[in-house]
Amino acid sequence: MSDITIGNVERAIKTTADTVLANQQYFSDLDGIAGDGDFGASLASGFRLIDADLPEIDKSSIGNMLLKISMIITKNVGGCSGPIWGTGFMRAAMLTKEKQEIGLADLEQMVGAAIEGIKARGGADLGDKTLLDSLIPIHEKLKEHAEKGSSPAVALRDAAEVAERKMEEAKALQPRRGRQSFVGERATGTPDPGMVAIACILQDWCEQFGVERTPQAKELTQRSV
Amino acid sequence: MRKFVNNPNDFVPEMMAGVAAANPNLLEHQPEFQLIKRKDRPVAGKVSVVQGSGSGHEPAHAMAVGPGMLDGAVQGAVFAAPPVDACYECIKQLASDAGVLVLINNYQGDRMNWDMAVEMAQAEGVNVKSFIIDDDVAVKDSSYTIGRRGVAGNFFVIKACGAAADLGKSLDEVLEVAKKVNGQVRTMGVALSSCIPPVKGTPIFDIAVDEMEVGVGIHGEPGRRRDKTKPANEILDEMFEAVSGDGPFSKGDRVAVMVNGLGGTPISELYVLYNRAARRCEEAGYTIVRNYVGEYCTSLEMAGASLTLLKLDDELEKMLDAPAEVAARIF
Repeated sequence: MSDITIGNVERAIKTTADTVLANQQYFSDLDGIAGDGDFGASLASGFRLIDADLPEIDKSSIGNMLLKISMIITKNVGGCSGPIWGTGFMRAAMLTKEKQEIGLADLEQMVGAAIEGIKARGGADLGDKTLLDSLIPIHEKLKEHAEKGSSPAVALRDAAEVAERKMEEAKALQPRRGRQSFVGERATGTPDPGMVAIACILQDWCEQFGVERTPQAKELTQRSV
Repeated sequence: MRKFVNNPNDFVPEMMAGVAAANPNLLEHQPEFQLIKRKDRPVAGKVSVVQGSGSGHEPAHAMAVGPGMLDGAVQGAVFAAPPVDACYECIKQLASDAGVLVLINNYQGDRMNWDMAVEMAQAEGVNVKSFIIDDDVAVKDSSYTIGRRGVAGNFFVIKACGAAADLGKSLDEVLEVAKKVNGQVRTMGVALSSCIPPVKGTPIFDIAVDEMEVGVGIHGEPGRRRDKTKPANEILDEMFEAVSGDGPFSKGDRVAVMVNGLGGTPISELYVLYNRAARRCEEAGYTIVRNYVGEYCTSLEMAGASLTLLKLDDELEKMLDAPAEVAARIF
């Protein structure tokens, strides 16, 4: 089944850029609690260019578009986020170089490939309190829906729900990898900024694609520290 | 914000441009990569030594470019590693037939960006190797962290590798020098205030006027504990015991001692600390062969200091003695 078009993917990227740019200060403030306070600014430096370049980017296939996105991120972002987010987009791009449309099964594989790339690049895994603690359960949820033949809308709603719940659950964890690991137990009780970003992005995708979902966490509803 | 900034987003580019403008004969600045390189490098037969990390630690890293020190350096935004592209350009543009040694301070962002850049350059046939510096004793190495952080001990690794490269040593030999220095150098810092990244505009952590952060990281990462401030000698004593007790130091050793300011502490206070450090070294039976008091690796305007001890031998003493000049000169 192919029900996600290249236009949908472009819109999702545009929405992601809007989310990252609108929440730049918020993400940096979250990072300042237990990290070094540059997460929002770092990510925004890449997505500002993506936002500007998106209309002109190569859209001959979903993969070619995502490859350009990954290159913009890798080239411009730096910090921890550049290699992590850039690698994720690049791995997803590799699976869709020939595709103009994808189904949930493709999307599930793209997210799976992105996760493997991110694990290899940063050396983190499930339970280390990084964005992988969101992406891995999201991937499982997508796989479940792909097997059931669900609609992308249902899968997106559930993915956003998983992202919000995992973000809440991970607050109690002590980070072992990623930028928060520098501070050890002092980060316990604070949300991981990367996980908050994933939850915000998915919630904004829901709104953009007309999927009804009401977030509960103040990290999503207030978007301020 | 009590800072000399224009647009905060231009802080790093304008600082880098200023470094080059102050050293017009020696240095070239490439704004597209925030690369500072020696104009006369690379040269055939000499290993190039390069580095790159987030900004805010000046004079590390771009201001440590100069004869006998780094051949080039790239800097990212404040406290953020430079992007892969910039690291790659730094390697490519400084690649000589003798190769390039990348000195990386142990932070995950620095490691990931440089790792990708080194792989790309190697794929193109550049003879490049990297080395990870991790001299900070504050954060214990364990399965829960990415290991120790790289801080002011970085200076000694650069100085020795720069001298070794000038002597015409091979890439593997310069790499061995880096390993040796890193194995014999230990650092710990204490912060008395936070710092303010210009783009963020507010302090990155809260600390009361009567508090100190023992074992602080150079990005304001918390260290071993928060405590009430104490007289300078007591603070120095704790740093000395942490550093001396961790490293391969024993009675009769010759050492280099560095008291490094974190950016917001007057040099007079650094000499108060050095006075105690010299006394402690004497009591421990260490002979101070060289001393370094000033700012070598900072955290913007953070008030605080770090103590570094380096165990010396004939080879390292020669390398510390070798002539050098950096962009951030005061003479």
